[in-house]
Amino acid sequence: MHFYTLSGLTVASEIVLPGALACAHPAVADVTVRAGPVPATLAEPTYTGPIWQIAVNEVLLSVPDIARFWLKDGREIAFQADTAADEADVTAFIVGSVFGILLHQRKYIALHASAVCVNGKAILFCGASGAGKSTLAAALGQRGYSLLSDDICALSIPANGAPIAHPDGRQLKLWANSIDRLSLAERRAGRLRRTLEKFYVEPPEATSTPLPVGAVYVLREARPPHAPGIERPNVVDATVLLRRNAYRPLLVIRMEQRADYFRAAAALAGTAGIFHLTHAFNFARMPDTLGMLERHWQELGLLEKAA
Amino acid sequence: MTRTIWLASYPKSGNTWLRMLIANLASQDAPADINDLPERGGISSARAPFDHLTLIDSSLLTHEEIDCLRPRVYEKLARGAQDDEYDAPEAALPVRFVKVHDAYTLTPKGEPLLAGRGGAEGAIVIVRDPRDVAPSLANHNRTSIDDAITFMNDRNAGFCVKTSRQYNQLRQQLPGWSGHIVSWLDQADIPVHLVRYEDMQADTAGTLKQVLAFAGRSATVEEINRAVKFADFAQLQEQERTKGFREAPRPHAGKKFFRRGEAGAWREELTAEQAARIEAEHAPMMRRLGYELAGAAPLARTG
Repeated sequence: MHFYTLSGLTVASEIVLPGALACAHPAVADVTVRAGPVPATLAEPTYTGPIWQIAVNEVLLSVPDIARFWLKDGREIAFQADTAADEADVTAFIVGSVFGILLHQRKYIALHASAVCVNGKAILFCGASGAGKSTLAAALGQRGYSLLSDDICALSIPANGAPIAHPDGRQLKLWANSIDRLSLAERRAGRLRRTLEKFYVEPPEATSTPLPVGAVYVLREARPPHAPGIERPNVVDATVLLRRNAYRPLLVIRMEQRADYFRAAAALAGTAGIFHLTHAFNFARMPDTLGMLERHWQELGLLEKAA
Repeated sequence: MTRTIWLASYPKSGNTWLRMLIANLASQDAPADINDLPERGGISSARAPFDHLTLIDSSLLTHEEIDCLRPRVYEKLARGAQDDEYDAPEAALPVRFVKVHDAYTLTPKGEPLLAGRGGAEGAIVIVRDPRDVAPSLANHNRTSIDDAITFMNDRNAGFCVKTSRQYNQLRQQLPGWSGHIVSWLDQADIPVHLVRYEDMQADTAGTLKQVLAFAGRSATVEEINRAVKFADFAQLQEQERTKGFREAPRPHAGKKFFRRGEAGAWREELTAEQAARIEAEHAPMMRRLGYELAGAAPLARTG
């Protein structure tokens, strides 16, 4: 078995999980990953999506030509690989979409977000695939902010105080173009899949302890009518924004967790703040975005003001 | 149940104008905000609904693997799954119009990318004289007109095709101007209503009325006339001038989405050689659609 920490959970896996942070043999692993068999359908699904089904405590995900994944109780991931798939095809999905679904199953507040550490606080960048989460986290890494998580960020909401972001110290996942534009070739590790020009990238520094959330930014492209900048939506809009930036909003509905996200949004709005970060999708403008963020962190008291 | 109708066109052929006309059917006192249309079926190639409905990350898939799954997404959307359930409209719209630039192609597994009858009940196919498309496409793609013509003549062309980066949208195959149109006109899965941009310009209200009749959406004469007024090209240009257009090319000095919108302006914008290159490649489809070839006839001006 191989042992990892992903989103603060210990994972025992029959197969090597690239991009995940290896850890010592835990007494009891939170999650196990093992090879099949996986049924083609669930016995009593409560909802059937295009390539997935959910039932009480079960999710079945069928990715054609790659694998079927069966998630049980948020504790077990069974996979049955297609004959045409290689191991990297399967593991790319396990450490990505499948683990994100598992976090929903475990009732975490699972956000589609990358996160970095600023003075002991977790700063989250939420957005759909392509919004620039990983690229922004990578650029902040180059400025010395350590990586907390990439693409998926699990939060737990304590009875009082700031929500806690769970680290996974995992590697960033970046497209060849981003690696090139950010001059990160030296940190490039393996390809996610043989057929993709997307790579695991070692962050300069990673945080491995849970951190209270300092701010949540929802990324938005600078297109009319939105100009680059940071603004704070009202609390009602912020609540909707958080739900929409769940890792998979559809699961929040199907798993009847809307109230949990409502409470999480209230807790975040009260302790950290949920903001819109509107930025240009343009590498040449990245320094502007980083400068805007650092000024905002000074205003929020997360960073000391420049002399 | 809400019917789904594709608004299918090669880029820069009037698709957005028709969407604006349809969106303004519901406008009472003022034109619909071009950045916040009340009827927003989005575009078939949007990435977010794919990820949202499949639960998987499309950035872990190749273009071909995504294509194999796209029919499943369109079937789900056509059966009433909202691509964003938090914003589900309170009253169901009679017709869901969805913009498409994808050619009508088959996936690597041999099924229609757009799911045939399972994805939509019909398609409104909008075409425009390719000689007018070329300068508009050059403006949109930020290329020279010659490069735009090369793109329009390339049977392997597309939007969002690179494999080294991620786009907001999924890959759209655009197998040449003629290849794109023939893919839509000659498919046998769903009925087609053909609209020529030039006819839409000459008789906007009449064209809109026919479009709505095909789509099974009722509208009064007053609603149609008001929509024509509110979505007038000059009105759209004015909105873009004052507040920008979210669907315009990425911010770039001088590049507008609603650029010129005239029929036949190519006579001033293309050289004789450029017009000839287009006609040489696309003459059969131009004839089929009723676009007169200039042939070797002298052109207004060159350079």
